[in-house]
Amino acid sequence: MAEDAAAIAQEGKPASAGRASPWSFLGNQPVGAILLCAMLLAAALAATVSNLTVQLPAALWLQSLAAPDVADMRQVLVHYAFLPRLAVSLLCGAALGLAGTVLQQVLRNPLASPETVGVSAGAYLALALATLLSPSLLAFGREWIALAGAFTAFAAVFALSWHKGLSPLSVVLAGLVVSLYAGAIGAALIVLRHEWLASLFIWGAGSLGQQDWSTTLWLLPRIGTAALAIFLMVRPLTLLGLDDEGARSLGVPLGAYRFAGLAAAVALIAFVVAAVGVIGFVGLAAATLARIGGARRLGQQLVMAPLIGGALLWAADQAVQIATGPQGDLLPTGAITALLGAPLLLWLLPRLALGLETPALTAEPLPRASRPGLVLAAIGLGLLLLLGLALLYGPGPHGWTFAFGDELRPLLSWRWPRVLAALSAGAMLALAGLMMQRLTGNPMASPEVLGISAGAALGMIVALFALSDAGRPVQTAAATIGAFAALLVTLAIGRRAAYAPERLLLAGVALTALFDALILVLTATGDPRAMLLLNWLTGSTYGVDVSAALLTGGIAVCLFALAPLFMRWLDILPLGSAAVQGLGINLKGTRLLVLLMVAALTAASTLIVGPLTFIGLMAPHLARRLGLSRALPQAIGAVLAGALIMVAADWIGRTAIFPRQIPAGLVATLIGGPVLMWLLRR
Amino acid sequence: MPDHTCRMTRRQALGLFTLPFAGMASAATAEPRRPRIVCLDDGLAETLLMLGVPPVAIADRQVWETWVVEPPLPPDIADVGTLLEPNLELLQQLKPDIILSTPYLDGIKPLLERVAPVMTIGLYTEAGQPYRRALEATRQLARLVGKESEGEALIAATDAYFSDIRRQLAPLSARPIYVVSFMDPRNVRVYGKKSLFQEVFDRIGLSNAWTAETNYWGFSTVGVDGLATSSDARLAYLEPLPEGAGGTLTESPVWNAMPFVRNRSIMRLPAVLMFGALPSAARFARVLASAMIAEAARG
Repeated sequence: MAEDAAAIAQEGKPASAGRASPWSFLGNQPVGAILLCAMLLAAALAATVSNLTVQLPAALWLQSLAAPDVADMRQVLVHYAFLPRLAVSLLCGAALGLAGTVLQQVLRNPLASPETVGVSAGAYLALALATLLSPSLLAFGREWIALAGAFTAFAAVFALSWHKGLSPLSVVLAGLVVSLYAGAIGAALIVLRHEWLASLFIWGAGSLGQQDWSTTLWLLPRIGTAALAIFLMVRPLTLLGLDDEGARSLGVPLGAYRFAGLAAAVALIAFVVAAVGVIGFVGLAAATLARIGGARRLGQQLVMAPLIGGALLWAADQAVQIATGPQGDLLPTGAITALLGAPLLLWLLPRLALGLETPALTAEPLPRASRPGLVLAAIGLGLLLLLGLALLYGPGPHGWTFAFGDELRPLLSWRWPRVLAALSAGAMLALAGLMMQRLTGNPMASPEVLGISAGAALGMIVALFALSDAGRPVQTAAATIGAFAALLVTLAIGRRAAYAPERLLLAGVALTALFDALILVLTATGDPRAMLLLNWLTGSTYGVDVSAALLTGGIAVCLFALAPLFMRWLDILPLGSAAVQGLGINLKGTRLLVLLMVAALTAASTLIVGPLTFIGLMAPHLARRLGLSRALPQAIGAVLAGALIMVAADWIGRTAIFPRQIPAGLVATLIGGPVLMWLLRR
Repeated sequence: MPDHTCRMTRRQALGLFTLPFAGMASAATAEPRRPRIVCLDDGLAETLLMLGVPPVAIADRQVWETWVVEPPLPPDIADVGTLLEPNLELLQQLKPDIILSTPYLDGIKPLLERVAPVMTIGLYTEAGQPYRRALEATRQLARLVGKESEGEALIAATDAYFSDIRRQLAPLSARPIYVVSFMDPRNVRVYGKKSLFQEVFDRIGLSNAWTAETNYWGFSTVGVDGLATSSDARLAYLEPLPEGAGGTLTESPVWNAMPFVRNRSIMRLPAVLMFGALPSAARFARVLASAMIAEAARG
């Protein structure tokens, strides 16, 4: 049973859970949450007074609130910019807190958040597509386009997890895949047409800036309606926290309420995204803080989480305005909340009651190949054919040609380093993903999710912006340091829980969000260096030269030579900690070694194909679906499949829109996403 | 400067800015062989076009058509893909004699050097002064293609053109001007110190209303309401506009309370490359002057 703390608390006294009402916290107050909320509100109020004083003498405050003098620009700005921005920050924070709580309750998963169900990414992508392909649609209002995207993404998540009865884990897994896919398409658009998307950067990064009260008035009735619907469902939503049999025995139509609860939460998030863009981490932070602060019953959480969310975003937004001056848009508040929220979550993780750790894999019968060797040979043959194509066939000034002889030599000197680097990176990511999935027993595990890729990217950012002339060697070194630093953070957090799977995942999600926020802040400032970064982040093999290719290939060969030592552990680890210790294996030591290996594999490959591909997630799944069930054959199959996907991605990226190029990491995501979704559907 | 020389250079200037190739074609026929230049910076490429030695390829023709516009790009100039990742296989097959690059692309310089020698010319750096750098770059490029006299003529013509504009605008130059590009209905890039436009302002005798700090490309991203610092300022905004910017702005109370909206001192300018060299500087002066004169004529 994978329940969160709330569910467990309710299980202890099921009789009272059934009668929970929004006001029951009066009898048993969540003191911590109330205190925290009061502290946030006090800080926000102090910051607001300070900001307002800068803009307008105190004597004019009341007048500018009630009836501003249009000739006095200061009063106009307070009335039509400062105050609506404050109102929007409160509304959005509250809506996200409420949505986060409902999502976590319905999905019975403390990881659930706007990002996890794919809604934010879907809304963002819809807006990017509309801007580029059909700008006239924007005339109807960008809100509606974002809403359509949010609900489409949600529908996709829903469809992908439907056949599993919308089980909590399948929803989160599908949400993650849809998010990554939407994000990849968005990144592809930006790489190809970046000069048009500067405004999307600002919006996407969650700028709360306002020019009038229209956004506030737009949000109020919509958020109000969704909130009312949620409060009317308190009782059935509380029962959703029970396990399925328990709830069903009480006569609750589980599917219907789960759907209604999710829809209300998605609508809330979509309204917020439509109005102000992606506000990172507030939903997750508010819901988590409310629970940690002692709000045990759902009724209490539904009151406390919006309060904390509103206070949190209000305080954050005022702090941003102190930093940037009044109405500063340079630091988008949504990105800043993610910057602040991620460390907060990292600090919270060891203190979070997640309930029992269970191998989360749904026990689903997968095929077992009777002759794994044959399967492996088939993948290997496919890889060889593809290698020939990638090296010899491509477009030029005179159309598509097979290159031979003298004509081939100069072309080959460009092609082989990229092909070798892509091959090595794909293979290493696949092995890293396989090891993570076997280690954690969690099908969502991969280097991308673990945060190691994000760490490498962070190192790269520091090198680009802190050093004036960071060449490739410096960037490489910085990325490696970043990857290992991220691993150390993850390990430090994981140590308390003996590297338990869910904590590592949470830590990784937090690190990834931190990194996303940084990227958004940097791109929103419009600094052209941000484009360099984006190009690398999307996994371009463009800059790979002979030495980089040989280095990556060499690292891959060395690490693969070590891999056989891990195979026995990887066969045993999925059996669970009791079984492992029963066999006399030191669980902690084993886990640590596996994680170190994963970090090395990830750092080396992320440098080549960027942190956004999800080969590590996909390749082991592919191998498993092809019937390779034991560790060694699955590892070989995954490595071959990872290499194959990456080489294909590089070739397509180089040739599809010649002379322009699509980064290989991005192509891998674009072709891999549907494959993974199809696998999930079966 | 005596008046008659001004008239001479003004005529030259008109020739250069309205018919960039008319005077150059005859000079070009005398050349034994033009160097095959791949140019990865639009500011350098526009300078080459004005010198009468078009590059064989540039990065991203689409960007040129939207953001540079003038001088028009001859159709036979190849497109090597995006600026950050010019297609190396295609570059090799174009067999250039030299590749012109900027410090911004230093990351890929080792790759480019495998194709042909690379000359790096930076117009935009931490130190600012893009106009002075553009002058140096013009001379450098003129030497490279053996068109020293055309280079000096371009510089002299641009200087003379600025003096000319300065005289025309003298009666209109009292009020400061914001120059912005809209990012979305709420946010603009406003150009200031270290920008090409600032240096044009200095030369044609206008004052920039945006005096705060800028990044090293010479702009700052701010909300529209950040432009309320100066009460008598005018606003000039550049095309292309992001979709939706025009529609929603007019309904915003903050926008309508802005001093330049209430004074109706708003000018819409056609696209000018904000990161360009001399031709872009001259184009900016020309489109701004004609907008200001048209505004003055309206009263």
